[in-house]
Amino acid sequence: MSLNFSRDALPLLLVAVGALCLPLLGNDYYLGVGFTLFGWVALAQSWTLVSGLAGYISLGHVVFAGIGGYLLVLTWGAVPIWLGAIVGAVGAGLFALLVGLPVMRVRGPYFVILTFGLAEFAKYVVINIESVLGKFSRLLLGGPALQDLYWVMAALALVGTFSVVVVRRLRLGAGLIAIREDETAAGTLGVPTMRFKLIAFALSALLPGLVGAMFVLRTGYFEPLQAFDPIISFTIVTMAIIGGSEDARGPVLGAIFLVLLSELLWSNFPQVYMVILGVLLIGFVLFAPNGVSGLLDRLASRSLQRPGVGLV
Amino acid sequence: MMKSLMILAAAALAVAWASPSGAADVKIGYSIAKTGLFAPAAPSQINAYNLWAEQVNARGGLNIGGKEKRKIKLVQYDDQSSPGNAVRIYEKLITQDKVDLLLSPWGTPHHFAIASVVERHKFPMIGSTASSVQLRSMKPGNIWFTTAAIPDKLAAAMVGLLKNAGVKTVAILTNQLPFGQENKKFLMPALKAADIKVVVDSDYPPNIKDMTAILAKVKAARPDAILALAYPGDSILYMNKARELGLKAKFQYVMVGPAIGFWRGMFKNAASGIVTLGHWSPHGENARAQAFYAAYLEKFKEEPDYLDSVEAWVSTEILEQAVAKAGLDKDKLRKVISTSNFDTIIGRVQFDGVQNAVTPTGFLQIQDGNIHIVWPKSRATAKWQAKPGWK
Amino acid sequence: MDILLSGQLLIAALIIGSIYGLVALGLNLIYGTMRLLNIAYGDLVMIGGYVGYWLFTLAAISPIIAMLVAGVLTGLLGAALYFGLFRRQLSGRQSIERIEANSLLIFFGISIIIQNVTALAFSATPRTYNALDSLVQIGEISITQSRMAALLVCLGLSIFIVFFLRLSPLGLSIRALIQNRTASQIVGIDVNRVQLFAFVTGFALAGLAGALIGVTEQISPFMGFPFTIVAFVVIILGGLGNLAGGLLAGMLLGIIETYGVALTSANLRSILIYGVFILVLVLRPEGLLQKRRMT
Repeated sequence: MSLNFSRDALPLLLVAVGALCLPLLGNDYYLGVGFTLFGWVALAQSWTLVSGLAGYISLGHVVFAGIGGYLLVLTWGAVPIWLGAIVGAVGAGLFALLVGLPVMRVRGPYFVILTFGLAEFAKYVVINIESVLGKFSRLLLGGPALQDLYWVMAALALVGTFSVVVVRRLRLGAGLIAIREDETAAGTLGVPTMRFKLIAFALSALLPGLVGAMFVLRTGYFEPLQAFDPIISFTIVTMAIIGGSEDARGPVLGAIFLVLLSELLWSNFPQVYMVILGVLLIGFVLFAPNGVSGLLDRLASRSLQRPGVGLV
Repeated sequence: MMKSLMILAAAALAVAWASPSGAADVKIGYSIAKTGLFAPAAPSQINAYNLWAEQVNARGGLNIGGKEKRKIKLVQYDDQSSPGNAVRIYEKLITQDKVDLLLSPWGTPHHFAIASVVERHKFPMIGSTASSVQLRSMKPGNIWFTTAAIPDKLAAAMVGLLKNAGVKTVAILTNQLPFGQENKKFLMPALKAADIKVVVDSDYPPNIKDMTAILAKVKAARPDAILALAYPGDSILYMNKARELGLKAKFQYVMVGPAIGFWRGMFKNAASGIVTLGHWSPHGENARAQAFYAAYLEKFKEEPDYLDSVEAWVSTEILEQAVAKAGLDKDKLRKVISTSNFDTIIGRVQFDGVQNAVTPTGFLQIQDGNIHIVWPKSRATAKWQAKPGWK
Repeated sequence: MDILLSGQLLIAALIIGSIYGLVALGLNLIYGTMRLLNIAYGDLVMIGGYVGYWLFTLAAISPIIAMLVAGVLTGLLGAALYFGLFRRQLSGRQSIERIEANSLLIFFGISIIIQNVTALAFSATPRTYNALDSLVQIGEISITQSRMAALLVCLGLSIFIVFFLRLSPLGLSIRALIQNRTASQIVGIDVNRVQLFAFVTGFALAGLAGALIGVTEQISPFMGFPFTIVAFVVIILGGLGNLAGGLLAGMLLGIIETYGVALTSANLRSILIYGVFILVLVLRPEGLLQKRRMT
């Protein structure tokens, strides 16, 4: 089992080194940016497991973060915080397993919109549960400090990246890619398609469950409309596409790219930032379908060729 | 036009004169939703902030502890309607941009989210557009809330107004968003205690598109009062449908919406008699209120939002007066804000812990195109009237 | 439960259903013929709303005329996008899955751009105006003119389009393209022209519907998303590319929205709508009314 530097080691290194360096800048602002960045990396890597590898594009991944956050809120005060977060992750995973059985049978655009509908459905169920419980938004006072949350999130990003690297190397990963290329053919070749899809779906829900719990701890506030905000799902997809979602590199590069862009622009030109985001998205799809990582590859191969050209 | 140009020129001249060389601007930062779900709500607040900064600068700058005057420079970021982003932005404002003062963002979730940030950095900030009983569980000292419209007090005041209007039966329609739910939670027992019968009780989701079924039930039940605990979007649905069905209840309360200029523009005469949430009106004796109203109308060619623009403006008045006393030192500022009296467009304000201890909870009514305070009686600028028919 | 029998509820269901149906029809035309997933669709509705608002506010032009202007404007926008972005995509030898995925992302980009350019141009402040608001009385039922107009226009236009597709040569080419792309090319249909027509018509319908919707709702740059969602739910219930199915599904959603709420409770509205949607997809993954088709 060999590691390809650019595909596997690079994203892991980027996350690890980034996680260690950001705190050296020594103020809350950079920790905050790092927290957000690693949150996106973890979410986008999880998304890659099912949508990048198997090609089942999920437009509702926020549902897992929302469930994770909600379970943390429900267990708040009853169990230690770390246990609440784990309950959130396990809950999200079980939910994925449960709904995955019928949902993973649906294909193509139907699957895309179905995942979106599922997330909205879950959102309104939670809204109604909260209303029956007589709760009208929850305030969680006295959560962990930003510093602690930062390290947890960095670890989640690393685990997420690692999981994509590993899964790609397992029979599971090869099977998922076969499903993406041609599901019927993969089935006839003996890939247990349904089982693989289910496993991928459940795996891709675990980390978002934890990330959702971290998001809630960060703001100290839970409200279903925020926790299940569909914009989160759209952002995950955007990051993965801009990064290039074939391997573990894509989500890392995509998340770094978008977070940097937003830090540079949103300060003074909020609407302009959004417009640029839209233009970039269109540009990438039309002209650089392999995303930032594809561009880097092209750049790398060109710089390798240059001395050769010089010799001739 | 000419006149305002001359005022502008004079102001510019005065500015050039007054600012001594070298006195840096006072940087005042805040985040607000310029894009996303809440963006339509934010301009009311942004306008108030901009108007304030402009007026202060035209007066020569912000009075810092009675020693000097410095120009205000507002530092504004877009939080994309996400409380998580607001947290990040306030950290940036404090640690990276090193602003001198903070103003508050739009909305309860955003206030709650940044409360821990201002607390950790011991950076005093006066809140504005936030309301929930939960705000009382915030640690006092670095955040204060100007509003008098907190749901438990609202419930008590509402029952007072309803009894005064001779209401015996009510229908309650509640948006499932937090503020609606919270209001209902306190209203139900208060109504019961006052022997007012709830004949229809219906919740609905924020994305509702048609209210025919609910309002048909209300029509059949013939209540004296309809309490629509609504937000701007669904309050429009309510109004259209209530008019179509010809709902005749003499008391019709639409919680959030009627205080905003565009809302009244949409319904004109049909909105006459609608009661809404609020405790400010330019039609009283308060000279500050009249001046604010006139300046806002002049600059933005529309009325201020009777809730959001007002709360935002009050927070700037308090900040300005506190800084004039204490300067920019955070500890002094905290002490002054916690203990002083402030003169604002909603009258005298003083804080007890995190909340406004003075301003009484009130309600407004649209009467002939004007908005009047009709409750409590002590502050009323007009008497409550039964809603005339839908014109 | 005499509420259930009231004409008021029936007409409310018809109004919502016909608006949903028309909005979804335009989306379905674009998907059916080209497999493009237009998630900027609700933003076109928003543009229509602004056109109606400005024409009325600045020139006192009635929404009935404004709706035509709005249709033309969004149609032109459609033509520009078709030539600028999509013709190349569609003529390439990409797989259908690729086109679907790519178009979803491109339209997401377009959606962000439209929303924020509008916010820059007109600010995020919500707009409303007061037109066609006198009440029409039909027996027991009273209804504002604007909603009456919405009902008549949406219903009339939808029926017209369905007949147009069944009877006119261009309509038949569109249906042929929806059913089998390759075969249409072989029998000599000018695919490019038909696609352009479907694309522009789809855009125009959204703008037109938007001008009608804008009379009864607040207009803001970010108002479009819910319409995108509703349109998608409708066309997926009806079966992607199945135009008549989409109209029926629109009505179904209108009925759930009114009768479902009357029978249960309003707070279950969204749960009912998404619940039916999920159930249908899980039980019949190709949509409620989808005919099997060859591709």
